[in-house]
Amino acid sequence: MNLRIPILKLNDCLIVSIQWELDDQTALQFQEDLLAKLHETSARGVVIDLTPIDFIDSFIAKVLGDVISMSGLMGAKVVITGIQPAVAITLIELGIRLEDVMTALDLENGLEKLQRELEA
Amino acid sequence: MNKIIATLVQDNLDEILVNWQELMREDSEEKFFQIMSQSVVDSTSREFAELMISNLLEGENKYENRLNVFTSKVVRFGWSISFVMKAINHFAQVVYDLLEKEKIIVDENIKEYHSIITNWITPMRDGIVDTYAKTWERTVQLQKIALQELSASLIPVFDKISVMPLVGTIDTERAKLIMENLLEGVVKHRAEVVILDITGVPVVDTMVAHHIIQAADAVRLVGAKCMLVGIRPEIAQTIVTLGINLKDFTTTSTLQRGVEQALAWTNRQIVEVEGN
Repeated sequence: MNLRIPILKLNDCLIVSIQWELDDQTALQFQEDLLAKLHETSARGVVIDLTPIDFIDSFIAKVLGDVISMSGLMGAKVVITGIQPAVAITLIELGIRLEDVMTALDLENGLEKLQRELEA
Repeated sequence: MNKIIATLVQDNLDEILVNWQELMREDSEEKFFQIMSQSVVDSTSREFAELMISNLLEGENKYENRLNVFTSKVVRFGWSISFVMKAINHFAQVVYDLLEKEKIIVDENIKEYHSIITNWITPMRDGIVDTYAKTWERTVQLQKIALQELSASLIPVFDKISVMPLVGTIDTERAKLIMENLLEGVVKHRAEVVILDITGVPVVDTMVAHHIIQAADAVRLVGAKCMLVGIRPEIAQTIVTLGINLKDFTTTSTLQRGVEQALAWTNRQIVEVEGN
C-alpha cells in the first residue's frame, strides 16, 4: 500500500497536511509530488502542517529539509507549522536544526506569515 | 530466656535508665540532655526502654507499630541517627552489665546470651536505620518535587508574549525540564515570542549555554521566537571569553527592554496615555 499525501492549492499557496507517520517511500514520493505540483501551478508559497505527527526520524527530517531547499530553488517559500514539542526535542537531539526554515504554531499563523513574507 | 531478660529489665527499669542516661551523658556530644527538660528526657527514655522490652516479648506487628511511632517522634525531635544508634548500644551494654551483676550470665552460658542479645539488638537497629532512610528519602522526594514546581514556569504576560524566569543553577536534568515546559507552554499559550530571563542564573558555562541554545532552537521549530534577557556584565564576559556563539539570538540586558522588543516584533508598543 502506498498512500500519497494530498497537496491542496489555495490562491497562490499550496497546503500540505501530513496526517500520519511517513515512511521513507512515501516521503520521497511526496517530494516528487510537491515539486511537480509547484511546477504545474507556479505557486509562490507552501505550508506543510505537521500537527498530527508526534515522531520524526532523521531521514524524514532530511527529506523535509531537502524539499524546503528545492522549493526555494523553484521560487516558493515554505512554512512548516504545528511541530509538536516532542518532535522539536527529537529534532534538536538529532542535531537537525532546520536553520533557515520558517515555522509557525498552526496553519492559520503559517498562512499569515507566508502572506506577509510574500508581500514583502 | 527472652522472658528472663524482659522481666529483669522491667523490674530494674529505673536503675537501668539511670545508668543508661549516665552513659549517654558521658558519651554524647549532642546537647540533647541539656536542652530537653528532665521530664521529657524521662518519658522518652521510658518509651525507648518499653520499645526495647516489647521487642523481646511482643509479636512482630505490635513491635513494628511501636517502632514506627517512636522513630517518627525521634525524627521530629531532630535527633541524629548516630545518637539513636548510641542509645541502643548503651542500652544493650547496661542490660548486659546488669545481667552479669545479677549472675544470670555466667561463664557457661555466656555464648548463648551473647547471641540472644545480638538477635535482640540487630533487628532493632535495622528497623531504625530503615525508618530514618525512608524519612530521608521522602523528604528528598518532596524537595525534588517542590524544586521542579519552582524551577520552570512559563508565564504569559501579554497576548502572544510569554516569559520564563530561570532561577538557580541549570543542570542537564533541569535543562530538559525547562525545554519541555517551554515548548508545552508555547503551544498552550499560543505564544509567538518567549523571553528567557536568566537574571537568576548564577553561572553560565558552555553546558548551560548549549542547553539554552538548544531550547531556543526547539522553540523556533515549534513556531515561536526566543529571546534571552537578563544578561549581567559578568555573564556577558564569560560568554565571550568561553567563545560561545549567541549571535543567532536576540539578547538584551533587562527584561524591560526584552518586553519592548517582543512587542515590536508583534507589531505593538507601549504608549503613555495623556492624563489631565
